[in-house]
Amino acid sequence: MNYKNKFSSETVVLSLLLKFLKINWLIIFCLAFLGFVGVISLYSAAGGSWDPWAKNHLIRLLFGGILMICIALTPTYIFNKFSILSFFLGLIALVWVKFFGTGDVARWIMIGGISFQPSEFMKLGLILILARYFDYLPTVHLESLSTYIIPLFIILVPGLLVISQPDLGTGLTIILLGLAILFFVGISMKFIIISSLLIVSSIPFIWQQLYEYQKNRILVFLNPEMDKLGSGYQIIQSKIAIGSGGVFGKGFLLGSQSRLNYLPEKHTDFIFTLISEEFGFLGSMSIILIFCLLIGLIIRVSLNTTAIFSKLVAFGVAFLLFLYLSLNIGMVCGLLPVVGAPLPLISYGGTSLLTVLIGVGLVLSINVHEKKI
Amino acid sequence: MKNKNIIKLNKKISRRFIFLSLIKGSIVGAISWRLFDLQLIENQKYEKLSDNNQFDYHLISPDRGRILDRRMRLIAGNEDAFHLVLNWNQNLNTDNIIKRISKVINLEEKDIVSFKNKIKNIDNNFSKKIVITKNLSKKDLSKLVVRSVEFPEITFFMSKRRIYPQGNIVGHITGYVGGITNKNTKNYNNILSTDLKIGKSGLEKFFEKELTGKFGRKRNEVTSKGFVIESHVYENTIPGKDIQISLDMELQAFAIERLKRGNLKIQNINSVNNKKNNNSFFYLDDNNHIYKDKNNNIVDPNSGSLVVMDIENGEILCSVSSPGFDPNIFSNELGTKEWEYLKKNPRSPFLNRSISGVYPPGSTIKMAVALAALESGLIDYKTKFFCSGSRKLGDSEFHCWSKDGHGKLNLIEAIERSCDVYFYELGLKVGINKISLMMKKLGLGQYYDLEIDDRAKGVVPNKEWKLKRDGLRWSLGETLNASIGQGYILTTPLQLVTMTSRLASNGLKITPTFLIGKNKNGFESLKINNEHLNYIKRAMERVVIGENGTAKNYKIGNKNIEMAGKTGTVQVVRISETEREDGVVKNEDRPWEKRDHALFIGYAPSSKPKYAISVVVEHGGSGSSVAAPIARDVFKHLFGFKQTG
Repeated sequence: MNYKNKFSSETVVLSLLLKFLKINWLIIFCLAFLGFVGVISLYSAAGGSWDPWAKNHLIRLLFGGILMICIALTPTYIFNKFSILSFFLGLIALVWVKFFGTGDVARWIMIGGISFQPSEFMKLGLILILARYFDYLPTVHLESLSTYIIPLFIILVPGLLVISQPDLGTGLTIILLGLAILFFVGISMKFIIISSLLIVSSIPFIWQQLYEYQKNRILVFLNPEMDKLGSGYQIIQSKIAIGSGGVFGKGFLLGSQSRLNYLPEKHTDFIFTLISEEFGFLGSMSIILIFCLLIGLIIRVSLNTTAIFSKLVAFGVAFLLFLYLSLNIGMVCGLLPVVGAPLPLISYGGTSLLTVLIGVGLVLSINVHEKKI
Repeated sequence: MKNKNIIKLNKKISRRFIFLSLIKGSIVGAISWRLFDLQLIENQKYEKLSDNNQFDYHLISPDRGRILDRRMRLIAGNEDAFHLVLNWNQNLNTDNIIKRISKVINLEEKDIVSFKNKIKNIDNNFSKKIVITKNLSKKDLSKLVVRSVEFPEITFFMSKRRIYPQGNIVGHITGYVGGITNKNTKNYNNILSTDLKIGKSGLEKFFEKELTGKFGRKRNEVTSKGFVIESHVYENTIPGKDIQISLDMELQAFAIERLKRGNLKIQNINSVNNKKNNNSFFYLDDNNHIYKDKNNNIVDPNSGSLVVMDIENGEILCSVSSPGFDPNIFSNELGTKEWEYLKKNPRSPFLNRSISGVYPPGSTIKMAVALAALESGLIDYKTKFFCSGSRKLGDSEFHCWSKDGHGKLNLIEAIERSCDVYFYELGLKVGINKISLMMKKLGLGQYYDLEIDDRAKGVVPNKEWKLKRDGLRWSLGETLNASIGQGYILTTPLQLVTMTSRLASNGLKITPTFLIGKNKNGFESLKINNEHLNYIKRAMERVVIGENGTAKNYKIGNKNIEMAGKTGTVQVVRISETEREDGVVKNEDRPWEKRDHALFIGYAPSSKPKYAISVVVEHGGSGSSVAAPIARDVFKHLFGFKQTG
């Protein structure tokens, strides 16, 4: 017994070690790089101080990193099993915030002194349950439209819940993410055309349902000069910060726009403007490239794996990262309306950081547990 | 079967994957292009915008130059002024703060009102600095500084305030300064540039460029909330130049005092039960004096003008206009009450009578008429005319001031006794055009190149002038009126003193100036026969020393220094024939506005003319009894004689 026990525990340690070595370290490098950029940007945003953001961010990164490694070492099938549960937990949390949420807009939930946004975790729950659904489904059924009715519900229920919080940015991210997975898995083109027509025709209706501030944001996006000191102020000042950065930037800690508080939300959603101002075109482009590299690495995992569940989870995480990136940067440089969209790993905010790290953890797990053929 | 399907699915997935990758790629491309566009192509534009955000440019006003009198006495200078400023933000309870400040110092009502208006008109929530008062005394300043812990919201701001230590005796000449109106100001922190004062009138306006100096520039680094982080002066100010003017403040003070008093009695207000005369615009001067007439009624002090000129160089030593105003009131924020008081005063204290006030010259014009006649060769010194008290012209009768007439007299006697009929005869002989030419030669009816912009031109009428103005022909009767300085003709006191100087200097084209040394190159000659001029001057001497002289009672009384001159009494209302028959109402018994103006022009010493003077006392009565003694006393003061009475 003893021997056997000893043997098995040794096996576990050995297998963990082997798994650990199989982790895709290039992905870890990308994450670490972006996290490091986040820390120094927050240091600069505070005017050259570790408080109040940079230190916390570093702690969160370390904690999230450990969590990510743990997930990476966990066999993928366990997530497959828990996917439905995680989705419904997320849904319950969303309903909970709707009625008992804290914060000036009901987005936050408090558990044991830690507040978080269930809408961020919902993105992962959505990826998992959709992957589970299509994994469970016999492939023949993929051709028929009726197969997609349930996934559409799975996508729209949390999406609309989040939009009604109100959080247009995250809600749309969830819906886009879900639709991208449907598209990836092979929904027929006919359906896509019909549904996009439906969406276009429902725009006036959606417009009516929007909150006044959401309407304003979109209007101001179309013409930022309309409200120079109000909603348009953010976009104008953000563009000034980016534009004045030039090729090489004004230098670390020397961004006048951020230092003199012209940048709103410079530590959260608008952190990229600070980077652009202080590190210029080269700095901002290298961040985009590292992000693209990360996305590419994750997609490679998706392409290399055979199981539908793993494929879709990896694809979902990659697409989620892409959505974060394009929404955030598109917003700060004035290509998209100002909707709340964090820049994961860099902007200050625990939930999106954790979401991304857990998501990448799932991808790493897929990569680690992939059976080589 | 299953395998086949999976292969099919994989194929589809990779097709879709490529498609999605293309979309992603193009979105990332679009973002990259956007950044390229913003940071590289449009970089300069945004750099400029960023600079505009970062920096707030200010002008720093230089110290304004001083204005000094000929003995370097200060006429206009600068004084430190302390502003009390509130660092406003939307969370402050301003009423409470004002209440607390009021417990420590006295805030003026008008300051509180304007402060509350500013608070009311705030249109955004940016914190900013709002001036509570610009008029904090040093004492109040120290009171507040000591308690600065209690008032964390207030700060102090120092600037310069224009002061005029001479008060109201020279306000018309210096003018005053005021803020720039209609200037776009940024909504925060521009206290400095809004505090800029520019000359609004008088010398302050004329010498604006020299007095202002050169502005410095300052660059403030400001946060989005408007707080100044760093301030950097990158262009220093150059203070304005001092201007020295020809006025003598001591003489000026004496002259205005003497002019205001005239023949009135003066009393300290503390020694009378002050019964205010409601009809009169009661005018209290700085010394709390009140003025009483012969019948012991409280009256306004004399209003009018007195100008003294140095004949050698045309420099004006004294230019008085009464009532005056104190230019200091404009340096502080002028209350509407004070403004209304000054504006409503029927004696118009803002009118600079010496330069902008016009009066008919009356008999003081007679030298010009005589000179015109002599120069034309139509009369000589011996030519005599007979004065019966009036001269008939057609149906009208033109009266001499002396009802019984002067009898037969020559030119010197006519000037000495100021016979009107004699000059009617001259006027008829010479004609208006020649007379007006001589008047213009002597400096009437024209602007001078003077350091004060608000000037009156006056009127020297002739035939063409009347035709142009009224489309009517000149009548002979009007020539008669013009010959004794009545009718259309109007002159300023400055023109009168210039004319006197030109006569006294034996025909030099003297022009007045407020600057020392402006005319050091001397004057050109007017080319008037010196013999004629000497003759005229002798006549003017006779006015004072002659036994029939109209100013014989007001000699200086010194052998070496005596004045020469000419009195003038200007009728303001026409005296009708019936009135004349009933006996003219005595001047004192008429309402003030209908009384005669009293004029005197003169120079001294008569043997070697040095100073010329013109005195106008509005509605003061006769020139000989009211204006002449004032001139005499001013001359006495000038030459350092002790004053009696």
